[in-house]
Amino acid sequence: MLRRLLTVYGLMFFVFVYAPIFLMVVYSFNANTLNMMIWSGFTLDWYRQIFGFETSITDSTTYVDSSAQLYAAIRTSLTVAFSTSILSTVFGTALALAVARYRFRLAGIYRTLLMVPMIMPDIVLGIALLIFFISIGMNLSIMTIIIGQSTFLISYVFVTVSARLAEFDTSVEEASADLGATPAQTFRKVTLPGIAPGILGGWLLAFIISMDDLVITYFIAGTGNTTLPIHIWGMLRRGIKPEINAIATLMLLFTLVIAGVGLYLRSRRQK
Amino acid sequence: MPSHLEIINARKAFRTPEGGRLIALDGISLRLATAEFVTLLGPSGCGKTTLLRTISGFETLDDGDVVIDGIAMTQTPAHRRPVNTVFQRYALFDHMNVARNVGYALEIAGRDKREIRTRVGEMLELVGLTGMEKRSISQLSGGQQQRVALARALAGKPKLLLLDEPLSALDKNLRQKMQHELKTIQRELGIGFVFVTHDQEEALTMSDRIAVLAHGQIQQVEPPSVLYQRPANLFTADFLGESNLLRATLDGSQARLSDGQTFDAPRAAGEATLLLRPESLGFAVPEGPKLSFTGRIRETYYSGKDHQIELETLAFGTIRAVIRANGTVPEIGREVTLHASATGLHLIDEVAP
Repeated sequence: MLRRLLTVYGLMFFVFVYAPIFLMVVYSFNANTLNMMIWSGFTLDWYRQIFGFETSITDSTTYVDSSAQLYAAIRTSLTVAFSTSILSTVFGTALALAVARYRFRLAGIYRTLLMVPMIMPDIVLGIALLIFFISIGMNLSIMTIIIGQSTFLISYVFVTVSARLAEFDTSVEEASADLGATPAQTFRKVTLPGIAPGILGGWLLAFIISMDDLVITYFIAGTGNTTLPIHIWGMLRRGIKPEINAIATLMLLFTLVIAGVGLYLRSRRQK
Repeated sequence: MPSHLEIINARKAFRTPEGGRLIALDGISLRLATAEFVTLLGPSGCGKTTLLRTISGFETLDDGDVVIDGIAMTQTPAHRRPVNTVFQRYALFDHMNVARNVGYALEIAGRDKREIRTRVGEMLELVGLTGMEKRSISQLSGGQQQRVALARALAGKPKLLLLDEPLSALDKNLRQKMQHELKTIQRELGIGFVFVTHDQEEALTMSDRIAVLAHGQIQQVEPPSVLYQRPANLFTADFLGESNLLRATLDGSQARLSDGQTFDAPRAAGEATLLLRPESLGFAVPEGPKLSFTGRIRETYYSGKDHQIELETLAFGTIRAVIRANGTVPEIGREVTLHASATGLHLIDEVAP
């Protein structure tokens, strides 16, 4: 009896979590331009529209402002995501190495401080960053988005790399030194390959979170720097439009591909 | 013979997490001749691994010196010392194949590819892994990993090879095989080996000399047979092999055991301890002066080539003897007398507790 209840509970859990996503994907293929809740036939028009192809949907019925704006938003998001993820991977990895390898005063507090941005409410972080940029007289631009996102994405990379370092056997570093390698050679030939899965994982995580972040970015983006989430948010405020389903479905696909690549590389490393 | 490695009055203390001080090396001095196989033997925590790590450069000494081929190494970092190490758990680079592991020292030294390939081939032949260049580390058995670790440490032609309990993870048969191979390889290459172990049999089998360590100090350094037959103190006597330690009173010419038996011992009067190895006792009555012990057999253990006997005596408690197994199995509970020749007995200038 309890077993059956647990099964039902488990199934309901997955329905609850995945049904909206499933519906979104289904609606992105719905030909009904007026009410997307009612299925009227299969179409790829919403996708065609996003990619700027001619569609059967007349201008009066479409809500898309223009493909150009959407592309600009995607370009901004990708630029930000690449810059931030690389920046925070470099710094997060360096911090993880320092905290794992060196004993220094207040190391515990330092470690905790590095975790805090992950549990900090986005709104608080957004406001704090906005006030900070204004008070040092920095104009809001794509630079402030990159700097602002890095401040908390470093934490994610730090945690991921630290976990890898914790299970990394330092005796191979001693072996490398013993065989004549300088500390720099040891780092390049032994340490880096050893913690590479952690670094890669941290980088992908930072990339996905950066692509996805709305709240903090919204505060520090200023005008004229629209990332993809901000663009979608702007579209939504003028009513839910069918091509949003298509955009979200593509984002979902993109995220799954990145995560899949990450998992694949990771499993290959561990073999 | 020139001294190859010299450790002079090495001292090292660690701070324990509880805030105390743990003295790992308490004034250790040791010389190693060229191409000598020296084993550091002692119970865990005696400082033997710390001593090895100060030679390789992973620990710095608080005081004292490590001199290799006449050059003080105290300030030299690990990567510039002409020694290589075989680590306890091998520490192989598992993201590289066998060939790159073995050729690592040469790759670091910037040798050309052809030379590296030739040397790797030689090394793999030496350790019996010919043709395994392309294997990945995870495809190897424990014994094969052990051999790769050995080949890797030898490829750079070190002047001295340090081995930190390298055989402890292998099963008994493989361990014995590797012991013999290591000894052969050491003799063929003619380089010095410093071998750390807590296994006394391993130490006796392989070493030219054994340094027994306890409490951060060297108790005795001698060839295995000397160490076994004439240990300098009770710790060494007890740690190396089985032993019967009997209290003896000396009067200048004779020694007297607590049951009144005497034997010749021309040395200063006082208290001492007589060492009787189990294999020096037997049922046969030896010619000349002898010691005899009568008691009841409490337990016997059969090991294939011999019987170990525990004899319960009134005067000395349990006496251990080893009798070759040749048909006559002693019965438990029987009263028997064991004899030992009373010539060439070894006395230790310490009193057994």
